[in-house]
Amino acid sequence: MGRFTQALRVQVKVIKALMIRELVTRFGRENIGFLWIMAEPLMFASMVGLAWSILKGPQNHGVGVIPFVVSGYIPLTFMRHSFAQSAKIFVANSALLYHRQIKVLDFIFVRVSLEAIGAMMAYLFGGTVLLFFGYFPVPADVGMLILGWAIYVGFVLSVCLVLAPLSEVSEVVEKIIPVSVYLAIPFSGVFNMAAWLPVTLRDYLMWSPFVTGMELMRAGLFGDAVLPYYDIPKALTVTFACLVAGLVLCRRVRRMVAVS
Amino acid sequence: MIYCRNVHKEYRSGRVSKSVLRGVDFEINPRDRIGVLGRNGAGKSTLIRLIGGVEMPTQGKIVRKMTCSWPLGFNGGFQGSLTGLDNARFIARIYDKPYREMRDFIEEFTELGGQLRMPVKTYSSGMRARLAFALSLAIEFECYLIDEVIMVGDQSFQKKCEAAFFRERDDRALLLASHNTSMVKKYCNRAIVLNEGVATMYEDVGKALKIYAEF
Repeated sequence: MGRFTQALRVQVKVIKALMIRELVTRFGRENIGFLWIMAEPLMFASMVGLAWSILKGPQNHGVGVIPFVVSGYIPLTFMRHSFAQSAKIFVANSALLYHRQIKVLDFIFVRVSLEAIGAMMAYLFGGTVLLFFGYFPVPADVGMLILGWAIYVGFVLSVCLVLAPLSEVSEVVEKIIPVSVYLAIPFSGVFNMAAWLPVTLRDYLMWSPFVTGMELMRAGLFGDAVLPYYDIPKALTVTFACLVAGLVLCRRVRRMVAVS
Repeated sequence: MIYCRNVHKEYRSGRVSKSVLRGVDFEINPRDRIGVLGRNGAGKSTLIRLIGGVEMPTQGKIVRKMTCSWPLGFNGGFQGSLTGLDNARFIARIYDKPYREMRDFIEEFTELGGQLRMPVKTYSSGMRARLAFALSLAIEFECYLIDEVIMVGDQSFQKKCEAAFFRERDDRALLLASHNTSMVKKYCNRAIVLNEGVATMYEDVGKALKIYAEF
């Protein structure tokens, strides 16, 4: 037990150091620095939100188009970035593998956490600004919003744990990752509520933790204006299966990584 | 002590595979100075990377019972886009050492001055080696893994390294991969000759050098 807590303490230090390093290398120390991390999801979401509200009018299915799009796109960009950054992450960071206490899991964990923090900041900031101008509701149930977000983040992390080692051993997977994000969009609940769909389709979508996460987030945000469909046990089961597969794959592939 | 038990390493690229180490067995005792001899491609760097834990053996086991540096060589261990000092700060964090002391030490040992505030990718290999040595000395490992690199430094740096490793830290273990036979002769008490994936340990360095010369 003593050894385990010791190892845990080392990992906490490593993760902290990697986060700081990542922020400095990616965003630099100039101008707004690490605040850039929320700039992209925010710009993306606001542009699409604007375009949609012009195309479809301010209201659709009883909820505002802008908050609906913003609340969908921010998690989507988080997912997209996390997947994209998982590709070849071991080799990209191989200089760090010279230090034995740094594990490949740390790389994935750090990247996904930073993306998640960026997305949360974008959500909070974007939401607050839009709320001020009357384009965003006050969340009806913050607990539900957070629960949905946690499920979403958990699933993204576990998928990344699978994608990262696979991209290392297979060129095909590496090239397919960007495509897979677009394939994931219909299964991610970004554009629609499950309630707007036919029953059979909805049943299939319940297997996607993204949909459960998204529905919970939207329910937390819009409250009674939407009818959410979610299946938390299913989402957790799928996430857990992915997580186990990912951990096994990471361990196997780490043994094969050649560090220049 | 560090034990290597039946260590095999195979690299694979597509369908081509190459077996670099085929059953390496030896141990590193405290205070051991082990020279690693072998021709280019014999597996010296691979062995050092495996002992350092940078790569993992395909088969076999490496047991570390003392703290062991990362392989000190021309590359590795640094983030090129970060400055020397940023790298030092990162390493101080992950090895849990106070950064201030570390900075003072590397400023003194590397003599790189203002260059420490430049990205590491702008460094020459000699400057990188200075930084790597300074950082690893500041951490104080029980065993140092040195891949070829003392030779890249200039005279004054070589003197500093000699003093640091062979006088001030003569209680530490050292694994030194080198083509420089006079250096191995001068400093090592044992030597490994790597040939065809097999490592042979010689307690008599002179004998090892003689066999190595015959390849």
